[in-house]
Amino acid sequence: MGGQRQVLPGRVYQTVTTLLNHRVIPNVRVQEPVWYKVVQSIPPSEMLTRPLPPQHKAPNPKARRPSRLFQPQEIVYEEDELRTTFYKDHPWELARPRMIIEMDGKDAQRYDWSKGLIQPGMPLCGECVVQRQLWMMHNIPGITKEHAYDTVRKEFYALRQQEEVERRIAKEEAQMVGAYFGKSFLQVGMELEDQQYEQWKKWAGRQIEEVQQERDSAYTSFGDEANPDEIDMDTLTEQAEEVAVERK
Amino acid sequence: MIVRDMGVRQARKALAAPLRKACLRALSTQPTQPTPTGVVDLTEPTLQSPNVNPQPPSIFNAKIRAPARKKKPAAPDTTVADYKLALEVKNYIGQVGSRVERTYRPGDVFLNPPGPKDVTLELLMASQAHMGHHASLWNPANARYIYGIRQGIHIISLEETAAHLRRAARVVEEVAYRGGLILFVGTRPGQTQIVTQAAKLARACHLFTKWTPGSITNSEVILNGMPMQMLDEHDEPVEGFNRHLTERRPLIPDLVVCLNPMENYVLLHECALVNVPTIGVIDTNAEPTWVTYAIPANDDSLRCLAVIGSVLGRAGQIGHERRISDAKKGIVSWKTPLDVAKFMALERKKAEQQGKAATEASQGRPYVTEEDEAGFDTGFQQSHTTGARSNPELD
Repeated sequence: MGGQRQVLPGRVYQTVTTLLNHRVIPNVRVQEPVWYKVVQSIPPSEMLTRPLPPQHKAPNPKARRPSRLFQPQEIVYEEDELRTTFYKDHPWELARPRMIIEMDGKDAQRYDWSKGLIQPGMPLCGECVVQRQLWMMHNIPGITKEHAYDTVRKEFYALRQQEEVERRIAKEEAQMVGAYFGKSFLQVGMELEDQQYEQWKKWAGRQIEEVQQERDSAYTSFGDEANPDEIDMDTLTEQAEEVAVERK
Repeated sequence: MIVRDMGVRQARKALAAPLRKACLRALSTQPTQPTPTGVVDLTEPTLQSPNVNPQPPSIFNAKIRAPARKKKPAAPDTTVADYKLALEVKNYIGQVGSRVERTYRPGDVFLNPPGPKDVTLELLMASQAHMGHHASLWNPANARYIYGIRQGIHIISLEETAAHLRRAARVVEEVAYRGGLILFVGTRPGQTQIVTQAAKLARACHLFTKWTPGSITNSEVILNGMPMQMLDEHDEPVEGFNRHLTERRPLIPDLVVCLNPMENYVLLHECALVNVPTIGVIDTNAEPTWVTYAIPANDDSLRCLAVIGSVLGRAGQIGHERRISDAKKGIVSWKTPLDVAKFMALERKKAEQQGKAATEASQGRPYVTEEDEAGFDTGFQQSHTTGARSNPELD
């Protein structure tokens, strides 16, 4: 069921027109449905055609014959390369939380990369570097990609450093007036480690106890080794008889 | 080592019931006495972290007894003083602080639903309408809606989406203008609000639970006894059609809007069988031929579906308003259904015959019982005399 092409949904108008034109029972009048005039004036779009997809890459001149001509192509932007370079050099920038929700989709229209890395409504991140670098490459005559990257990178470092200092001072100020930030990550980590260690200690103790018991029981089966000369044969036979009686 | 923090954090508990010495074993990493298990090596100083061997704080000393808990005297009510202090602080601080603006709230689309005029490519992109499925999952029938591949997924062309969405909105508007019955369907979890909102705007029906198979093709059985209502062109109920409503067949929608066609094949198939046009949100893995009007968009994003649903709902609202305002001017864009017209003609004939019989009887036999009078379909007569229905074209 399903999965296959359906003919009827796209051809409701034609079907109903045929039904209206050819009365099944001659005397019974068929009324045209409410949507009839609507679908007539607003026909469904063309379907199941495979046009040449939007071209995003220049065709390979060495290719002898075209391949994947009617399949969608990979979208390539100029920033991709810059982004790759930046995040290869600064992988920990990827670990910073980033907001990807857009309000009205017009964020990019509010940014002006000629004014620096800080833009309204956008925290400093790798994307700022990439966009600023791209702007420089396009607008400053004679600048190379590497030169632009170097310039923007240094601006970025300065701003990051400033952020770091601001954060540190804010923390110090807050602690000065009695803020308490709870345990640090290291403390939490140490506590968890200690917990595991305690558990292991309990487990190891139990294991050792078990091994000790096993060993002890193995020894006790021999008992106190008596001197073979002092064994009284009578008592032994008596004991054996008693055992035999008990079994009966 | 944890004991120090314990003292700080759990001080109240600790004060309430002073710990015994024995309890310290459980709290510290330092064994207080050599374990009888023979794990001697563990207490070697080299294995220990530097801050073991803590001196238990004085609160853990059993000698210092916490004072027996007494019932606290009721604390004085400081609400007024607190409020005054807060006001004072507020006055002192003034406007210092920051105000966060432009925050995204998922419910905003329901508070101010966008209409067909508000559809922009930016809005569609912000609501993630462009994201399709993994390139390997595609349905090649959607090739003309796809812009390209980005990071392994197909990107739907937003120009196509906007064009198809506007077209669908136009269809909804026109069908609403002609008094058609529209059904909004979204059966995935989370689509309830979208569907109900759209239906409320367009004065349409909604479905957010499973489609009962056969509700169109076998509706006489499945929808037997469901209430129906006869409305005039001003959308006011008309009396006198009770007998017709009890014996007529259940209604079928004139337009079906489906937000998740993948899960509603049965519904779409039934619509196709009885020639009902359908509108569906088609992702890159869906089959566009299942619906009459496809809207290529991301059907997995609730935000996108909310935008699409509200656009279509608004379109229905516009059509409905247009219909009502035209009806006030005397323009009625729809015709009375044939079965209703037939019923009205029969009733009229019956009423005429009965009236004739009544006049004859009143001339011959002057007694007419009350029941005979009530047998006339009085409501229908009124509705007909006031001209509520448009004139049916009889064959």
